[in-house]
Amino acid sequence: MSSVEISGVRKLYGPVVALSEIDISIKSGQFYTLLGPSGCGKTTLLRTIAGFHFQNAGTIAVDGAEIQELPAHKRNVAMVFQDYAVFPHLSVFDNVAFGLKQRKVAAAELSERVDRALRMVQLENFAKRMPHELSGGQQQRVGLARAIVVESSVLLMDEPLSNLDAKLRVELRAELRKIQQSLGMTTVYVTHDQEEALAMSDVVCVMFNGVIQQAAPPFEIYDQPANKFVASFVGGNNFLTMENRAEGLHMVAANAQLNAEALDVAAIAAIRPELVKIQKDASVDTNQLSIAGKIEQISFIGREIELHVAATNGEVIKSITRPSPEVISMTVGDSCYAVINRDDVLLFEDTETGARIV
Amino acid sequence: MTTAPSFLSGFKRRLDFWNIATVVVLAVLFVLLILPVFSVFFVSFLDEDTGAVTLDNYVTVFTRNYYLKGLWNTLFVGGLGTLGACLIGVPLAFFTARFQIKGKAIVSTLAILVLVSPPFIGAYAWIMMLGSNGFITNFFGRFGIDIPTIYGAHGVILVFTLKFFPFVYLMTQNALMSVNKSFEDAARNLGCGPMSTFFKVTLPLVFPAISTGAIICFVLSIADFGTPAILGRGFRTLSTIAYSAYTSELGGKPTMAVTVSIIMMGISIIALVVQRRILAKRRYASALTNLPKPDKIEGVRNVLMHAYCYLVVGIAMFPTLVVVYTSFLNTKGPVFQPGFGLTSYARVLSDAPEAISNSFIFALTAVVLIAIFSSLISYLIVRRDTAVSGAIDVLMMVPYLVPGVVIAIGFVTTFRSDWFDLTGTAVIIIMIYFIRRLPYGVRATTNNLRQIKPSLEEAAINLGASPLSAFAKVTVPLIFPGMIVGALLSFITAINELSSTLILYTSGTATMPVKIYISVLDGEFGLAAALSTILLVSTGLCVYAVFRLSDDKEGSFT
Repeated sequence: MSSVEISGVRKLYGPVVALSEIDISIKSGQFYTLLGPSGCGKTTLLRTIAGFHFQNAGTIAVDGAEIQELPAHKRNVAMVFQDYAVFPHLSVFDNVAFGLKQRKVAAAELSERVDRALRMVQLENFAKRMPHELSGGQQQRVGLARAIVVESSVLLMDEPLSNLDAKLRVELRAELRKIQQSLGMTTVYVTHDQEEALAMSDVVCVMFNGVIQQAAPPFEIYDQPANKFVASFVGGNNFLTMENRAEGLHMVAANAQLNAEALDVAAIAAIRPELVKIQKDASVDTNQLSIAGKIEQISFIGREIELHVAATNGEVIKSITRPSPEVISMTVGDSCYAVINRDDVLLFEDTETGARIV
Repeated sequence: MTTAPSFLSGFKRRLDFWNIATVVVLAVLFVLLILPVFSVFFVSFLDEDTGAVTLDNYVTVFTRNYYLKGLWNTLFVGGLGTLGACLIGVPLAFFTARFQIKGKAIVSTLAILVLVSPPFIGAYAWIMMLGSNGFITNFFGRFGIDIPTIYGAHGVILVFTLKFFPFVYLMTQNALMSVNKSFEDAARNLGCGPMSTFFKVTLPLVFPAISTGAIICFVLSIADFGTPAILGRGFRTLSTIAYSAYTSELGGKPTMAVTVSIIMMGISIIALVVQRRILAKRRYASALTNLPKPDKIEGVRNVLMHAYCYLVVGIAMFPTLVVVYTSFLNTKGPVFQPGFGLTSYARVLSDAPEAISNSFIFALTAVVLIAIFSSLISYLIVRRDTAVSGAIDVLMMVPYLVPGVVIAIGFVTTFRSDWFDLTGTAVIIIMIYFIRRLPYGVRATTNNLRQIKPSLEEAAINLGASPLSAFAKVTVPLIFPGMIVGALLSFITAINELSSTLILYTSGTATMPVKIYISVLDGEFGLAAALSTILLVSTGLCVYAVFRLSDDKEGSFT
């Protein structure tokens, strides 16, 4: 399999910067996910790798060989499309065989490779069907088989599961990952679904406004977000106002000091909802902070309970917790305390993509 | 970043199939459309004798009574013909869209047949009924009653009305069927009766469709040559003035013919711009939900409504039936004899067999070219978001607006010079059919291509197909139905073409419409009827084929 090296890629649409100075290094066999909200540039980057867009600057190399000037049909980077793009006028077999015919693979080998690919996506009994006779999930399996059968250097996937319903999406996600691992294919995967990104990837690359915010393994992205955007986009988070005072950094909602030293920039604190504990009494350890407030909303979501606590300064703190007897006994309007560990609090500069401070 | 090599490979990148196709398409459009139209435009500013640049030609048109009268006549018959088409078409559309009409499919099929049969056949059929020797005139004459003949402005208006109302009818019917029922329900709920709901809500909502239909009627009326030429008898419109100016200026510079033609074109363009202006403020999204269902009504009103629908298409179809009937009457020379027979058809075979073969050869050749070019052009328009493809899209409007006389004169001035002369050849007629009917093909394939996801072509390219091979293996098979429908529509309009052929033909390249026109002028009604019938049957077969192949049967024709 192949490694991918992208350096200094820039893409402009008139005055709009779609991609700015993209540097990415993907190891052979890695499952590399581009994650971000719509309009962040992730699809543009994928399509630039595929050759459907041309970059204004920068290089894209596969195994050290630059491909950024090659036309799309000579790049050998098979792609799976969001809307399947299964040729409606060709049978399942002919769809999968399309790329092999372009590569002038001999008939016997072609048929064997198509069969193998169809087995891999569990469509071996559907070879003669036409696409309109298939469900959405089956069509995307054809799309996948068509892409893997050509054994290209890199596999590109553009939100391949987003048109499927939730249950099928989770099912196919696991299957896709299994096939990718068994073939060891270097994969670039685009999604806006953070859960999908975390569940499948070796590396998650979070993008926003055409800029890479952080590229790291899933756990690190979640646990050690590099900036405020990553902290807010991946997973839920509470953002709490901080004030730089003479005596140190002050958390307004808790009416307590977090650090002894004040900062020279405006900061904001982030704490994950599952790290916030709701209790009735005010007693806390020295390494904890407590935020007094009233319960504003309670939603039972099965395995967990989600509570919204309105602090006295008006900020709302979310907590996700196991439904313990104490929590279950609470009702809207009750006074309570949201308790957090000082160590769990992350500090960011208070801008949209503000850098991590602690 | 290495600039020099990437510049070089950037150039190679630009040499891909679609950029070459763009250049070819632009070259063809330049030679066959821009150049002729501009040469016509240019000639209109030249002095006929000295060749100096002047505005005198326009001054002449706007001061000489002969031309002013023609201008007024053109606007008069065009305006009233359009009004008539709306007055007939809108109620017909309302009845068929909103009420259960038995035989609704037959009504719309007949309307389409009226639409595709050439206007000059209608004009000449009316002469056989109400001309100075028409059978209706003669019938009343036997009782000593003089009924007014069909010749003159009223005849032209009648033919335009009955010929062009299907545009208004089909477009309005389509709009009426896609108005969300909730709008009307809301009006009723707020206290409007059925009549005031129609006039205050329904009619304003379908106004864009009515006005589009009306504009098509108007533009076609302005440009129509055959009807005023056959029925005018001294009543001249700009198109007949342009044609006779052209024939009398033959050899010299056709300055007056051209100036008049440019003014015709100007009227069409102004009409279109005005309509666009009006529509710009009235964009109603048509939701394809909660569509109205046709009501059933009982009693006298139901009978009257059915009578109206059948009567309108019946009268409009009547001239065609007269033509077919006449073609089977026995003739001796130009004189009709008692009894039925195939003498007229025998005369076609002996006197004008080449008209039939010419018509088919020219139209078919043009249509093959149209199919190829329209698939390329629609790909450029739909898939390539560049200024050039936008310009091509706009250029595709031009043939609709340029009257046949204009472009034909443009062809003569462009393709006849000291070293080469294409006039009088089959090639020039095929070229003019190609460029004039190309938009029909482009429209059909464009509509089809818009429904095809671009990711399909990208998938093919991604799997290693070159742009050309992706187009051939994926795009063309998917837009093939559109290409066929477009080809059939262009064929129908090409084989019925009269005005530009009349300027470009020579004895060896006469077509069926030309022969019909000449026969009518010579009083050879039997021969004209037989040729017209052959033309109508060929047209009818194509309409049938479009019906079989197209999802939106009626929409294909408007």
